[in-house]
Amino acid sequence: MPDGASPVLDVKGLKTVFRTRGGEVHAVNSVSFDLKPGELLGVVGESGSGKSVTMMSLIGLLPSPPADVRAGEVLFGGTDLLRCPEEQLRAVRGGEIGFIFQDPMTSLNPVFTVGFQIMEPLRKHMGMDKAAARQRAQELLKLVGIPDARRRLDDYPHQFSGGMRQRVMIAIALACDPKVLIADEPTTALDVTIQAQILELVRELRRKLGMAIVWITHDLGVIAGIADRVIVMYGGQIVEQAPVNELFHRPRHPYTRALLKTIPSVRGQREAKLNVIEGQPPILVAAPSACSFRARCPHAFDRCARENPARRPVGPGHDVACFWDPAPGAADA
Amino acid sequence: MLDTAPVRRKLVEVQGLRMYFPITAGLLRRKVGDVKAVDNVSFDIYEGETLGLVGESGCGKSTCGRVILRLYDPTGGSIRIEGREIADAAQSDLRDIRPTMQMVFQDPQASLNPRMTVAAIIGEPLDEHTTLSKAEKLARIYELMDAVGLNRNYANRYPHEFSGGQRQRIGIARALALNPKFVVCDEPIAALDVSIQAQVVNLLEELQDRLGLTYLFISHDLSMVRHIADRVAVMYLGKIVELAPRDDLYLRPLHPYTQALLSAVPEPDPELETQRRRIILKGDVPSPANPPKGCNFCTRCPKVMDICRTVDPAFREVEPGRFTACHLFSQSNETAGQTAAAEARQSIQQGV
Repeated sequence: MPDGASPVLDVKGLKTVFRTRGGEVHAVNSVSFDLKPGELLGVVGESGSGKSVTMMSLIGLLPSPPADVRAGEVLFGGTDLLRCPEEQLRAVRGGEIGFIFQDPMTSLNPVFTVGFQIMEPLRKHMGMDKAAARQRAQELLKLVGIPDARRRLDDYPHQFSGGMRQRVMIAIALACDPKVLIADEPTTALDVTIQAQILELVRELRRKLGMAIVWITHDLGVIAGIADRVIVMYGGQIVEQAPVNELFHRPRHPYTRALLKTIPSVRGQREAKLNVIEGQPPILVAAPSACSFRARCPHAFDRCARENPARRPVGPGHDVACFWDPAPGAADA
Repeated sequence: MLDTAPVRRKLVEVQGLRMYFPITAGLLRRKVGDVKAVDNVSFDIYEGETLGLVGESGCGKSTCGRVILRLYDPTGGSIRIEGREIADAAQSDLRDIRPTMQMVFQDPQASLNPRMTVAAIIGEPLDEHTTLSKAEKLARIYELMDAVGLNRNYANRYPHEFSGGQRQRIGIARALALNPKFVVCDEPIAALDVSIQAQVVNLLEELQDRLGLTYLFISHDLSMVRHIADRVAVMYLGKIVELAPRDDLYLRPLHPYTQALLSAVPEPDPELETQRRRIILKGDVPSPANPPKGCNFCTRCPKVMDICRTVDPAFREVEPGRFTACHLFSQSNETAGQTAAAEARQSIQQGV
């Protein structure tokens, strides 16, 4: 992982609000992070924690209304994506920033061949003619491990299995040699043996192509296997950020610590009783004025109800949004 | 849980169960084939235990759970619950047995009627099967709500007012209303967030201890099944390929599919992840409408032999309490079986 290199993507103070009939929902609250060239950044959180909305906000994929990206800046190659004209944004989307969505069943168009869908960004963004685009599409299918690529270009999405469709999605996202690839729960809809295939493919593609990847997931096991650095989201905010080994071995935020303890393993020690995070995730009806985890936190004290903790550094590349300090030596308590 | 109990009574006995769905074609809906969703499956469930049923999507695990409760009419085979044969019982006879066997469904959103209050949902089985007075019924509903950790004051609310985890608690309360002995839990936690999954699993375990329930726990989540189940059955393409006590299965899987399946589960520890040896299976699961000749797994098996492509291996006991359907362990291949077992042991040691 290149350290200290200037980031390819720099997000500062991003705020996204949804206007609904029941009032406003503050889905993303002052989220800041950056992405270094070639690194794989894991984004972990439960449903409703704002991880997908954050990434969709970056490249203007949220319909407005109801969504309203209220504040912040997203620096990508010197331009602020939140303030650049739609035309320029369209050139970035699918061109320099590739996107893989969760559900390979619904994100491919059923009435066009797979070949057409891979060639579309090549012709739009790279200005290739039909023959060149087809050649490149065939290479891409081969790259993502689809056998008999030339013939498969003329097949429709329903002729592919779930794992194969996700490979096609990856081929489309990679079509224009993106600098950044955003993958939103790309393996969640897949079976474990197929997930293992896709993870192996992503490891191999990173070695070959070296783009930076943002990988959104709720599965800490997947993150442990592929990420360089991890951000943990809760209640629309980043509560912890750390290099992957640091996060798993020295988690600081009570939420991260609890989350790591609730997941059972197929190997190692079997717990007699599962650890539980009591209570429910917060409902984001207002911008947070206090720590959003305090109601479920075993370490909460009076200050947590008065102020919303800001992220503070606790180690190299490691910061946490929490007032509480674990006692020294009790790192794994 | 029952490891220490000397005598174990079989509550559910399934023998040679088959569930085929017809494939029809043409104007006259002529039958042209079968989807063999469950194909010759046999297992027992002992009283008070949890049998985990794992497998990937489309392997027939949910169908299996539904057939056992006679939500489908099986194509063949026998299902005995407390010794009573129900595979070919008439619907009117089934009605008497239904209270002893209940189900918790996967999607708490879809399995609760949005127009009924929580009290009405939990009380519906009581209306159907008991003659309780209104007051008695309400008392029972409150009792059930307490048991699953729902606030009594919410009895008149509707399902949409609850979170996913709470809705699953409503589904569990409904399943328990008639004091069942046997509950099929069909992916009860798949739709829930990680932090809520643990709450529901702990509740299911607590209820089992308190009420002496027997579970068939269907899931694709191998780590959760390891936590909750006493014995585990692994399904692939309509058949059970391996059945073993939990610790044996996870420490030393015998069938090559079980080995691959377990090795595919990522470990939430970055250091172990970098060292872990993975078995990456090639290709996809074949269609259950057109399964391969011989062993169902022969198209993807890393240890495939010639015999696997022609002869379907029998599901048999290869060690006390351990069943598997694989030619590596068939009698004529006794030595091969031992080598494979030793290999399995080795790969697991390397893997962890």
